[in-house]
Amino acid sequence: MSRRALRKADAVESRAGPLARLSQFKARHRGWIGYVFILPWLVSFLWFDLIPFVLNLYLSFTDYSVGVKWPNWVGLANYTEMFTEDHLYGLSLKNTIYYMGFSVPLGIIFAFAIALLLNTDIRGRTAYRTIYYIPAVVPAVAASMIWLWIFHTRYGILNQVLRLVGIGSIRWLTRPEWAKPALIIMSLWGFGAQMVIFLAGLQGIPGELYEAAEIDGAGHWHKMRYVTIPLMTPTILFNLIMGIIGGFQVFTAAFIMTNGGPLNATLFYMLHLYNNAFRYFRMGYASAMAVVLFFIILIFTLLMMRTSERWVYYGGS
Amino acid sequence: MSQRMNRREFLRVSASVAAGAALAACAPPAAQPAKEAEKPAGKTAPTPAEKKITVKFMNWWGAEREAIMNEVIARFEEEHPDIEVVNAVQPWDNRAERAATAIASRNPPAVIMTPRVETYKFAHEGLIIPITEYVKASGLNVDEIFYEGEINNQRWEGELWAFPLPTAGGATGQYLYNKKLLSKAGFDPEKPPETWQELEQVAKAVTVLDEAGIQVLGADVGNFPAWLYTNNGKYCTDDARKLTFNSPEGVETLEWMVKFTNEINGGIENVNDFWEGTSDTSADFPFYTDRVAIWFTGVWAFGHLKTWDPELWKDTNSWGAALRPYNGNNPKAAHHGVSGLQWAWGYVIPKNLPKEVQDAAYKWVEFLGTDPRGGCYFLFKQGRPSPVKKCNENPEYYKANPYWDVVLKSLESDVSVPITPVQSQIDDILNQAIQEAFYGKKDPKEALDWAAEKGQAVLDKFWSGS
Repeated sequence: MSRRALRKADAVESRAGPLARLSQFKARHRGWIGYVFILPWLVSFLWFDLIPFVLNLYLSFTDYSVGVKWPNWVGLANYTEMFTEDHLYGLSLKNTIYYMGFSVPLGIIFAFAIALLLNTDIRGRTAYRTIYYIPAVVPAVAASMIWLWIFHTRYGILNQVLRLVGIGSIRWLTRPEWAKPALIIMSLWGFGAQMVIFLAGLQGIPGELYEAAEIDGAGHWHKMRYVTIPLMTPTILFNLIMGIIGGFQVFTAAFIMTNGGPLNATLFYMLHLYNNAFRYFRMGYASAMAVVLFFIILIFTLLMMRTSERWVYYGGS
Repeated sequence: MSQRMNRREFLRVSASVAAGAALAACAPPAAQPAKEAEKPAGKTAPTPAEKKITVKFMNWWGAEREAIMNEVIARFEEEHPDIEVVNAVQPWDNRAERAATAIASRNPPAVIMTPRVETYKFAHEGLIIPITEYVKASGLNVDEIFYEGEINNQRWEGELWAFPLPTAGGATGQYLYNKKLLSKAGFDPEKPPETWQELEQVAKAVTVLDEAGIQVLGADVGNFPAWLYTNNGKYCTDDARKLTFNSPEGVETLEWMVKFTNEINGGIENVNDFWEGTSDTSADFPFYTDRVAIWFTGVWAFGHLKTWDPELWKDTNSWGAALRPYNGNNPKAAHHGVSGLQWAWGYVIPKNLPKEVQDAAYKWVEFLGTDPRGGCYFLFKQGRPSPVKKCNENPEYYKANPYWDVVLKSLESDVSVPITPVQSQIDDILNQAIQEAFYGKKDPKEALDWAAEKGQAVLDKFWSGS
């Protein structure tokens, strides 16, 4: 706003009272009024994200424990211990990568397949969508309790079915070899959120592309192969990245159902971090673990973004 | 004059506002209590109610125990009209996080219920005050009042930090057994197993296996530390500086546990499957439904049995209680239990409090911990023994519990194992080793030696202060 306009506004203010003053205020501060709108987010970002992140980074170089005001600076000791002394660190990372390596792709395939089905003209489509989405809003603790019974060796429904078809019982949660697969199966139950995103993506594919493909003689498979999947790759990328982030942070199911056992088979990264922070009160060490996890996730995400240039199709690119 | 704010200024102001708001949120409350602010205008002389000191009592005595605790608080407040105790019962979820953040805050509760390992940790970090001087001023002889195994659990570095409640003892020193199953297997139900060897015989005769695992369980011999003490072994030295659980007695104990589990129960997976999803606060718990012959449990089990299977509770021809068996082949072995490694509850007073609040808090914990109208009554109402010896002499206990003599013997034989603030880490290492032995990944000696080496490294690091 020019000086002349401001002077004019002042003159108007002196003549016209509060309304004019408000108008003048708005005119003067239009430049930063947008910041006021983002202030709640900004304060939350500072207080709940940025400041904790920076503090966590600092604490990872200390021996911080609960209630200690001025922790000792220990340099890289926490990081050294993580990679050389902590016999459970490598195992927890391995368990987590195993879990993520199966649960993320399986989750995407499963959610995508259901989304494809729910995108067809079937009767009661809306009801089905709701039904399939419900597990995604069931609290993780409640879901864990339900699955504890589903996996029960003697009375669980899963083993009852397996016995019916002649496979026999599996010790889902008490045999080390089966505990991780059990939790991976359980993770598929919460596919609803991914499914909704896929559904939105599928509905955004222009119908004329399918018509053109049909004119060219494409059947169902070819339409899927050459139209649906390429146009869904940005959505797949999004779900993949979110899945990887979530996969690395898997915690609740293992915490409630197995507590990391049997034989540490489900000791995931976050559970090990939690144990260090709140059972051993080794907050400095846990902070260092959190920092490393941040960089692992960052690397995976960047890797996905970099490789996406080869397989993700953005219209017009 | 133009008042345009640039981005940098805006961010600076925003950060200041955020920091100010956060600091305000973290600040301790104003010294003037809310009630003071509500004082009617014109009234100048404070009434006794307005002078009250509030003791916020953070604890985990929820469910039916809350009402009993409120009764105890009412008795205390009657005696101390200048103190108001707020019964701040907390949900069990995230217990450790809640306790840690509360004690580390600038505005902690006046009293926090903590397990032994956390008490030691908080004491080590200087977050709580010892009660040694208070006890001295009160003229209490705690060694006479409490069982040795109980009061020693609350001592660290020569100071007393809390009064115990409930007992940590009685958790492992005894077992309940099903007389019907023993009779059916041809054993005298009035002569429950006294030794490991007798226990093996009973378990062999009672256990029923099928293709899905265990149908009827003779006994589950988990809990290595408790069995270790029934073989004259020790977890560590008395000064808590050296781990000794891999002694010959320790190795023999773990070998026996693994052999028992493999030969009688068909392996650890069978045992884990058997207990999966069970709870002794449910009517279909295996012991209540004649599917467990010998149940190693704590003193809380009496109350649970009474609540969840009152018919069985009344029928003492069907169930009994006895002391944990010892190794009959070791002449030095005897009945023993462990009165809490990590888990021995006490009531600590944070350092970061005004002196008058700490004084009031001590009065409350002393009442709760030692007074017959306090903790004694609170535990009696739950059918549980008290860490105060005299309280357990109450004849009403004998009427209420048909096996009260076993409970008392168990408390007398319980051992307080010396621990340090890093006990959780050591326990986790030992548990991993024991699991590896049960799963056949390591032989018992190899597993215990590994755990002792790893655990000792943690302990040495702690004692060296690094």
